Amino acid sequence: MRLEWGAEEEAFRAELIEFLAAHAPPEARRRRDFIGSDDGSLPGWARAWQATLFDHGWMVPGYPPELGGRNATPVQTLVYLEELARQGIPRSLHFGGYAIVGPSLLEFGSEAQRAMAPAAIRGDTVWCVGMSEPDAGSDLASLSTRAELDGDSFVVNGQKVWTSYAMVAEKCFCYVRTNPDVPKHKGISVVIIDLDSPGVEVRPLRHVTGAAEFAEVFFTDVVVPRGNLVGQLDDGWRITMGSLAHERGGIWLEGVSGCQRTVDDLVALAHRRRLDRDLAVRRRLAAAYAEAQGLRALGYKGFAGFAQGSSAPEHSYMKLATSELRQDLYELGLDLQGPFGVVTDPERAEEGGRWPHAFLVSLAATIGGGTSEIQRNVIATRVLGLPRG
Amino acid sequence: MDFTLTEEQEMLRQAARSLFTRECPSSLVRAHMDDPAAADPLWKHLREWTALAAGDTVDLCLFLEEAGAAVAPGPFFATTALFGPVLAAAGHTALESVQAGELTGTVAMAGADGAWTANGDPVKTFVPELDRVDQVAFVGEGPTVAVVPAQGLAWRPVATLDSTRRLFEVEGPADRSAAVPVAAQALADAVGRATVAVAAELVGAGRWLLDATVAYAKERTQFGRPIGSFQGLQFEITDMALAWERAAAAVAYAAMALDAADPDRRTAVHVAKAQAGEAARRCARVGMQVHGGIGYTWEHDLHLRLRRAYAGDGLLGPVTWHLDRLAELLFDSDRET
Repeated sequence: MRLEWGAEEEAFRAELIEFLAAHAPPEARRRRDFIGSDDGSLPGWARAWQATLFDHGWMVPGYPPELGGRNATPVQTLVYLEELARQGIPRSLHFGGYAIVGPSLLEFGSEAQRAMAPAAIRGDTVWCVGMSEPDAGSDLASLSTRAELDGDSFVVNGQKVWTSYAMVAEKCFCYVRTNPDVPKHKGISVVIIDLDSPGVEVRPLRHVTGAAEFAEVFFTDVVVPRGNLVGQLDDGWRITMGSLAHERGGIWLEGVSGCQRTVDDLVALAHRRRLDRDLAVRRRLAAAYAEAQGLRALGYKGFAGFAQGSSAPEHSYMKLATSELRQDLYELGLDLQGPFGVVTDPERAEEGGRWPHAFLVSLAATIGGGTSEIQRNVIATRVLGLPRG
Repeated sequence: MDFTLTEEQEMLRQAARSLFTRECPSSLVRAHMDDPAAADPLWKHLREWTALAAGDTVDLCLFLEEAGAAVAPGPFFATTALFGPVLAAAGHTALESVQAGELTGTVAMAGADGAWTANGDPVKTFVPELDRVDQVAFVGEGPTVAVVPAQGLAWRPVATLDSTRRLFEVEGPADRSAAVPVAAQALADAVGRATVAVAAELVGAGRWLLDATVAYAKERTQFGRPIGSFQGLQFEITDMALAWERAAAAVAYAAMALDAADPDRRTAVHVAKAQAGEAARRCARVGMQVHGGIGYTWEHDLHLRLRRAYAGDGLLGPVTWHLDRLAELLFDSDRET
């Protein structure tokens, strides 16, 4: 066990730091609580930045140059994610394209589909991922959007919801039911749907902050060529989310760094609100600091197993822990302001209304990408080996 | 930050695990509660490992995690985690005898308030194993260290919740001439090492509780199902496991930070002890709850770890004490980011 990486990894970091200093646009360095877009649009700077990263081999470093990388080792990839998280610079505002669709096309797609991956990773093609439905949230496998094979085409009918970026996306990586007569996991397929096809309707869906960051997508007799099937028919359940396998050892860094930055900001806020001598505030923030530090260590401990090719059970805890901690921290940010915590008027609120806004956004983190309850179920049964309920 | 264990570290852990499994059954721990001499056969084996008193903190912690899982009694902890490091900080030659397994000792530092900070209080508190070690290192104001024979000191045992670890009050030696100055930073590092060592024991006790609780939840059947299939229980156990994982990682990090003399080590030590204390207590409480009536019996070994969890949290500073020190670093100084 040792505290520092070797000289080779630090040289890699130095090269990245130099690149970021030369190329990262000021918008990428804007202080932000969460990566994403408030209104579901992808601003020009973000698209240009993603392309720049790709062209310099810094978009997905573990990939070869033609896929926006530089054949980085697992440790180098971790150093990369560490540095981006430290500087608070996002690669992209749109996780789905480079992290889900691109890698899935490469792993499961036909030759023609694999050829679509570079544009997905570079962000030239904007994708949305059609998973959740009104009646299929945590129980995703019960999805009912139907794709019936009719000659050389599928005919798709149904509805997706909570679909991020559907308003600006050209294509949808869509999970559909192709066989209703078998157990639910065994009748799902993935098809690529062009969103300008007749019968597709995208309705922006405002979420709790008031912004329309995601959408409902309706499909009415949408004709999809059979060649748009990804992988085998009825075998779509295997094509699971977050397929950037070689980055899995380090995706926790973003959440942990977010917690640590928020703790630092809360300390500053407590000073401004003259609560820095308040014992309850001090203990609460010290405990949060300790939790975040412990989580960082846990992430690295898991990485040690990941880098050796074994599974990293430690990482199962990271999303659960960081999303709940951040929610607590933003709520504490409201509490530190007393009755002013709920003020959103940018001229009256602390930091222009950052705290109530970030609190609302943080509520999504324990729901999206697997609710905290699903995370606990998974840990209980798969990590701890407890019997299924 | 690389948490990969070296081959030597992996071997050390395995050796410790089999040693404690073989030589420290709960029958020995229980016998020791009535008669401290019952731990002597264990010491015959552990004295082979006292070189850990001066090596890497990481190694000491790997070893003590196993000691904590077995709630090992006797002078090993006081000698290697407290006495040895304080001797090293003071540059005292007796360290060689400690490493050779020929000399046992303990440290008298905490005063009336129970905090392990140098003080001039005439009576020292929370001194482990005092009546069964050769020497005592008194840490006084200055700071100074005075190493004196344990025999002839005025002491009284103070019973605590943890009947597996014996604690004492002791009056400082009448003759003050033995006291020599010690560098404050060196002493702080020795206390930091001791603090992380207690945290490592807590991680071990917590691991035993977690493993036992998961195993019991799988085998115990009520309402025709294993109780571990009930979501209410699964969530409690999952959160307990998370607390334990986080603490174990924080302790390993603090040990590495101490070994590297990292500028962040003070913070890391407070984080480690706060997390380990909280995790061990939580593992004890949830473990007790999941075991239900059977866990509440004297016969079940769970209470041995529960005792160690709560007393170990207190020793060298409970959760709140470390959080308050951490808050001082966060709020009251120009902290480096």
